[in-house]
Amino acid sequence: MTPTESVSRSSRLSPLNELWGRIKKNRIAYAFIVPSLIGIGVLILYPLIQVVLISFQKYYLLEVLTKGSPYVGFENYIYLLKNPEFWYSLWITVIFTVACVGLTILVGLGVALLLYQDFPGKKLVAVAILIPWVMPRVASSILWKWIYDDQFGILNYCLSSLGLKSFATFPWLANASTALLAVIIVIVWQSFPFIAVSLLAGLQSIPVEVYEAAEIDGAGFRQQLRFITLPLLREMIGILTVISTIWDFKVFDQMWVMTEGGPAGSTMLLGIRTWVDAFALLRMGRASALAVIMLILVMLITFFYLKLFTREEEAD
Amino acid sequence: MAKLKLNRKNPGLYMGIYLAAIVVVVLSVFPFLWMLSTSLKLPSDTFTAVPKIIPPHFTLSNYEQAFKGTLLGRYFLNSTYISLTVTLIGIALAALGAYGFSRFRFPGRKFLYLLILSVQMFPSVVIIIPLFITMRNMGLLNNHLSLLVSYTTFTLPLCIWMLKGFFDGVPRELEEAAMIDGCSWGSAFFRVILPLTLPGIAASGIYAFIGAWNEYVFALTFINIDKLNTMPVGLTAFFGQFTVEWNQLMAASVLFTLPSLVFFIIVRRYITQGMITGAVKG
Repeated sequence: MTPTESVSRSSRLSPLNELWGRIKKNRIAYAFIVPSLIGIGVLILYPLIQVVLISFQKYYLLEVLTKGSPYVGFENYIYLLKNPEFWYSLWITVIFTVACVGLTILVGLGVALLLYQDFPGKKLVAVAILIPWVMPRVASSILWKWIYDDQFGILNYCLSSLGLKSFATFPWLANASTALLAVIIVIVWQSFPFIAVSLLAGLQSIPVEVYEAAEIDGAGFRQQLRFITLPLLREMIGILTVISTIWDFKVFDQMWVMTEGGPAGSTMLLGIRTWVDAFALLRMGRASALAVIMLILVMLITFFYLKLFTREEEAD
Repeated sequence: MAKLKLNRKNPGLYMGIYLAAIVVVVLSVFPFLWMLSTSLKLPSDTFTAVPKIIPPHFTLSNYEQAFKGTLLGRYFLNSTYISLTVTLIGIALAALGAYGFSRFRFPGRKFLYLLILSVQMFPSVVIIIPLFITMRNMGLLNNHLSLLVSYTTFTLPLCIWMLKGFFDGVPRELEEAAMIDGCSWGSAFFRVILPLTLPGIAASGIYAFIGAWNEYVFALTFINIDKLNTMPVGLTAFFGQFTVEWNQLMAASVLFTLPSLVFFIIVRRYITQGMITGAVKG
């Protein structure tokens, strides 16, 4: 070993030593977070690795004791990609997510703008919108199932008394062409309040002076909305879009309670199909491959949005 | 903003605002009122050609019937026990973690914090398959322990994030002053920090409670024995029969909704604050 080598090595080591020193000095800090880290590591991160491993195995729960779970390479993935039902699920998951997110943001923005105005009684509106937000997902699914009931549902009564007689006994959830829409409405109903309350906070953070200046320059309500409010809220709307997309992409409870993926598989979102494959058909390997595809999609969505926003910020 | 000028000179604008307000209020509240109304109606007043919003004969018999001959009382107790346990353990762990992230600057802090927050984006159906296999191997299926550990873990990220915000709001100098005055490190935490952040702790506790109270897919997957079921799964079992007793189902749903409704209204300001600052800061 030449002297220069040993010098360079010790200088390479010293930052590590320093880091180790800092870690040791902060022992108590790690003690605080270790319990949470262990929980998350064991119950979330480790299963994430496992699900990837299982997706490469033939894991049929009924045969796993006798035949084990041999590795089969990409067989599960190939099976899925060749299966038109998978592509159908992917397609309706995209439609479902886009519709839910778009409608939720639109309704939420509208309600936020309403709550921003000063009018007597607006407190009542602010409290009223908490109800859909706080109602347990399963309770609201059961409730809406009752509202959508073909014979005695209040929705069909309202529609037919408005003169739309063809809806008198319309089976919203048992009809393949309306079931998805019916569930989308429930999701939007439950998720617009959070968006509205968040955007209202955003609206209130815009200084009044900006509007006053615009008003002096002769800008009306619509111009102020278009050239001040929306641009200033853009970042926030962006973040809320990401959050909603992740939420709506993984909707399970409402869909399972209201349709169980039916009628005839027409509302089999990816999440529902994963669960059915795993726990009704007991095909854990195949289901894991589906789960991994969902995982990749969630990460892609997040990455895509992050990229979009950082670029926008740079452009500004 | 874009604040409209509302005054008597412009009645059209006023009417438009109120029309919008009424539509929003009705669409938000009516479904819940309909649930309440159905739960207080006799079946003979329910299945009629013209629905009656206000029950012609108020009755509590649906509530009575819902408990009779069903395991509803049991579901309710199971849910209460599980949610309260998750709240207590979850908050203790989250408070420790949040305090660690708020007060110390240590190597890997940012990475670990982001790691904890990012696990929220993973769908539960993705994690549930390996978890099911693990629980099965450990003999924890049909055991409330499987739900307790999963719910506690899943509530941690958001609780840590909310509580960190509240801890950040307490100036460090307060603790230092207490410690100079002879408080030990622990008593500084319990006597200074804790009282000041109590609203935050209550808010995240309620968040944890509501999360566990509402959870469906884990309970559906891990529990197969009816008397071990929680409220959400137990309620959907009412659909199993040929006919649906809508009156009783609505009564049970009202009871299921009430705890989260009441709790949420108590702490809504803190929860929304926490969620919004979180949403904005990412």
